[in-house]
Amino acid sequence: MAAILILLTIGLPWLGAVLVWLARDSRPRLQNILAVGFSVAAGLAALALIPSTSSGTAIHLAAGGIFGDFTFVPDGLGVFLAVVATVIGSLAVIFSIDYMKGEAQLGRYYALVLAFIGAMAGLVLTGSLFLVFIFWEITALCSYALISFHNDDPKAVAGGIKALIITQLGGIGLLAGALLVYAHLGTYEISVLLEKAHLIPAGMLAWMAFGFLAAAAAKSAQFPFQTWLPDAMEAPTPVSALIHAATMVNAGVYLLARFYPAFEGVPGWKTAVIAVGAITALMAAVMALVSTDLKRVLAYSTVSQLGYMVYAIGAGGVFASQFHLLSHSIFKALLFLGAGAVIHAVGTRDMRQMGGVGKQMPRVRTVFVIGALALAGIPVLNGFWSKELVLETGLTHGPWLAYLVMLVGAGLTALYTFRCVWMVFYGEPRSHLHGHDAQTAMQIALVPLALGTLVSWLLAGPFAQLLAGSLPFHELEAHSTLEVLAEVITAPATYLALAVVALGLAAWIWRERLSGLASALQGLGKWAADSFGFESINRTVVSSTQRLAEWLRGSQTGYLGWNVAGILAGLIIILAILAWGA
Amino acid sequence: MANGILWLIALPLAVSPLNYLVGRLSFIRRGVTRTGSPARWLAILALLVTWIPFYQAVQMLQTSGPFTYTFGAIALRVDGLSLVLSAVALALGTLVMIFSGPYLAGEEGEEKYYALLTAMVGAMIGLASANDLFNLWVWFETMAISSYMLVAFYRQQPSSLEAGFKYLVQSSAGSVLVLLGLALVFAQTGSLGFAEIRAAATGRSEVLLAAGALFLIGFGVKIALVPLHTWLPDAHSQAPSGISAMLSGVVIETGLVALLKALAPLAGVTPQWGPLLLGFAAINMLIGNLMALRQTQVKRMLAYSSLSHIGYMLVGFGVALTFNQSDAAQGALFHLINHGLMKGLAFLAAGVLLYTLHVGRGHHHPLTVSDLAGAAHKYPIAALGFSIAVLGLGGLPPLAGFMSKWQIFAAGFKTGDPLVIGLVVFAALNSVLSLGYYAPLVNALYRQKPSLAVQEGLAAPAALNLPLVILSLAVIALGFWPGLISWLTGPGASAILSMFVR
Repeated sequence: MAAILILLTIGLPWLGAVLVWLARDSRPRLQNILAVGFSVAAGLAALALIPSTSSGTAIHLAAGGIFGDFTFVPDGLGVFLAVVATVIGSLAVIFSIDYMKGEAQLGRYYALVLAFIGAMAGLVLTGSLFLVFIFWEITALCSYALISFHNDDPKAVAGGIKALIITQLGGIGLLAGALLVYAHLGTYEISVLLEKAHLIPAGMLAWMAFGFLAAAAAKSAQFPFQTWLPDAMEAPTPVSALIHAATMVNAGVYLLARFYPAFEGVPGWKTAVIAVGAITALMAAVMALVSTDLKRVLAYSTVSQLGYMVYAIGAGGVFASQFHLLSHSIFKALLFLGAGAVIHAVGTRDMRQMGGVGKQMPRVRTVFVIGALALAGIPVLNGFWSKELVLETGLTHGPWLAYLVMLVGAGLTALYTFRCVWMVFYGEPRSHLHGHDAQTAMQIALVPLALGTLVSWLLAGPFAQLLAGSLPFHELEAHSTLEVLAEVITAPATYLALAVVALGLAAWIWRERLSGLASALQGLGKWAADSFGFESINRTVVSSTQRLAEWLRGSQTGYLGWNVAGILAGLIIILAILAWGA
Repeated sequence: MANGILWLIALPLAVSPLNYLVGRLSFIRRGVTRTGSPARWLAILALLVTWIPFYQAVQMLQTSGPFTYTFGAIALRVDGLSLVLSAVALALGTLVMIFSGPYLAGEEGEEKYYALLTAMVGAMIGLASANDLFNLWVWFETMAISSYMLVAFYRQQPSSLEAGFKYLVQSSAGSVLVLLGLALVFAQTGSLGFAEIRAAATGRSEVLLAAGALFLIGFGVKIALVPLHTWLPDAHSQAPSGISAMLSGVVIETGLVALLKALAPLAGVTPQWGPLLLGFAAINMLIGNLMALRQTQVKRMLAYSSLSHIGYMLVGFGVALTFNQSDAAQGALFHLINHGLMKGLAFLAAGVLLYTLHVGRGHHHPLTVSDLAGAAHKYPIAALGFSIAVLGLGGLPPLAGFMSKWQIFAAGFKTGDPLVIGLVVFAALNSVLSLGYYAPLVNALYRQKPSLAVQEGLAAPAALNLPLVILSLAVIALGFWPGLISWLTGPGASAILSMFVR
């Protein structure tokens, strides 16, 4: 049963991708129906997989030799993320019906989105490191193709290629790690690695652990690889919601959570994970504060929230990180889709030109505010519970300095969230933009996410049991919902964090009086807008590579004499090497 | 049954002159026609029929292992390695032949093209089963001579003639070095048979070391090892697109197989051959990618990317030779096959675009990246095929190129040698670098706004698209299930390892 459901979850979107492509762009209605049908069916298959959760291998295909066995395991972590990928995926597809109406090359769009959904489900459900890497790369490929979906826009093309190259660069860490596992254990099975990690020499294990960390940081846009995500915002907004907020960027967090039992003993690894998470969370929050592009604010906020999850894993809170991942996927998808409705209506992403949009789009305003409150960590929305759990784990198991950083981050989160909501929906209109409220398909996608944001925290108990029951190597305890809630409510850390959030809110309310402080920090703002210098590092690397390539072109002289001289020089060098070396 | 192998070589070679005769007679009677020369049907038929002896050879290899067929004083030996090369030559040859029909219809000298191409395929299959240095050299020259004329096919075009001439001079320089090496081996061991040389070449000998160096550089010109590669970008970009596919997809690889065959009997002289290949691997990958990065001509870019792919194969072969690693040899052969399919696909797809945008309309402009803009609407199959090819070359799953690279990389890690692991990581970095020029090609194809060339382009004939569809499906199928080809790469790898036993 589980085997069939896994095959459906991964296979249906891929089949749908082929069919949508075959349906051709002259029949957009058929394409809409196919895309929605197959993505919703995949979502249902993933939901149906929840009762069959287990740690056993459900599918086992021997590919043989150096490719290992192709296995799929429906354990709690995998099923949970597959559900997130397919359910939010199908909502994003439904949203696209209105958002992408009238766009050319709709077939390519849907085919790539569906291919992505299938690959993401595969990534989390497979039990083989080799397949993890394959799916990892396929998601990167789809992400690249969708970011640069509007190929005529040079910014979109540049953003797509940047995302591809940076995530691939980090991906080498995963590649090397997976190959080291194979070289030492003779298998790619994740369960074998988790069980026998201690058999691998400590030095090698450290290489693997840090390789995986690099891959995860690149995929989840963490320090120092964070620069690709803001540029990825050139993608159509439903894609940003799906790939760059709710699913693919979580793959890095997934990777760390999945392999935590193998690497927790590696000296310095947990500290490094905490540092990556904390630095990212703070940096991205500052960047969100100074950005004026609605989607970029949400992108930075995604990076920052992913930092919270990474931080939680470093502090040993696998459950806390995954719980925050659940909340974040829901409310961030809601925020992105809400932002998409606004952008679709007013035709710009620049928040400076918005203002007062809420009057024209009351429904969108309502759901966006729900999402924003969750992001800011206001009780009793899902973001509040999970963020508090993360912070509490950090306080009890992590260094206090990192905790302090995260606390400041929480305050900044509240500040930039209120700023964003205010600039878009409230105040006086700053230009003559005319909005219309969300259309039917958009509402169908937004309402479930808003409801999820309101109530998903009630699932804490079943969620904990789902994870604890099927992850034998993670040593998780199954708490009930009440226990989790009680833990949050009774912890003094919660009230400290709430006070900081209130401070953030207050800072926004009294922003006029703080204007002196704001202007004093302008230099910091400029620096933050350039991603704290990382953008210029990127640019330097790219331009020096291109200069080197340009310079090398001089070696192709076109003179036959030089060409033959090259051959003879090669001969002399080889003779010399053989004479001295052998 | 044993003379099946004879047909495998003889059929293309025997049909070649016949082919020319048919084409010439038709030319004398009817002149150049838009419908194309009847010679091409004969050529396609001949190559299709050649699959029968190939199948028999595979059967024989699987039942009774490598076998030798003596033809007078000449021995032809068929092992896994020769079947790999024969398969790639035959597969690409057949598809290119189908492709060339509409591409060349009405060109001057069309009838010579088919005769030369069949001869080239026959020569490559012959080289694959050569069992002594002399035959190896003769087959190698046969292949080279037929390819010179094919590169300079557009003899009215100065750039095409220039490319052909450069190729001729540099390749001949390489051949001279090979011949010198051959002479040294003969002087030292008194024989040219592989088995006899191996028996005589045990232990260090300066003369044989020099011979090996001469082989490495001589064949290295054809393989396009950096810095012996300077003929390649011109030749590969100026040749008719079908020939570009052959040159890049199988001719340079044939050079590689020839080098392995020639070096193998000298394995006992020094353990350095493997490390030398690894050194060239690193240089080829880096220089090939950097040279491709700033190219604006599509076919030149693809030509440079062949340098880097030769580098990946050399990683595999180098590791196999140095560490006696069967997985590495298998990966390298797998990559050789995949590169043939992917680069063949890339050049043929570029050929469709070149034909519809420029050549078919009577002018010989190079195909530039900006010409590609928006081609996907008008030429969906060519655009998709081209995208699959370049993304596969860039090593993205689920495409074939990823699987073979993985096999090579995994084999490298299994050696546990820090230098080799470093080289593999370097190779992976190079794959990322290569996306820097592959990805923009895909973006250009799927632009909304078509370039001027695309707006005015001809419709693509179905016979041009057919090979693209077949190759695309093959690249995807091998990407999903790499085991599909292990019947070919497995025996190939064991053949290489047994050749190099010291």
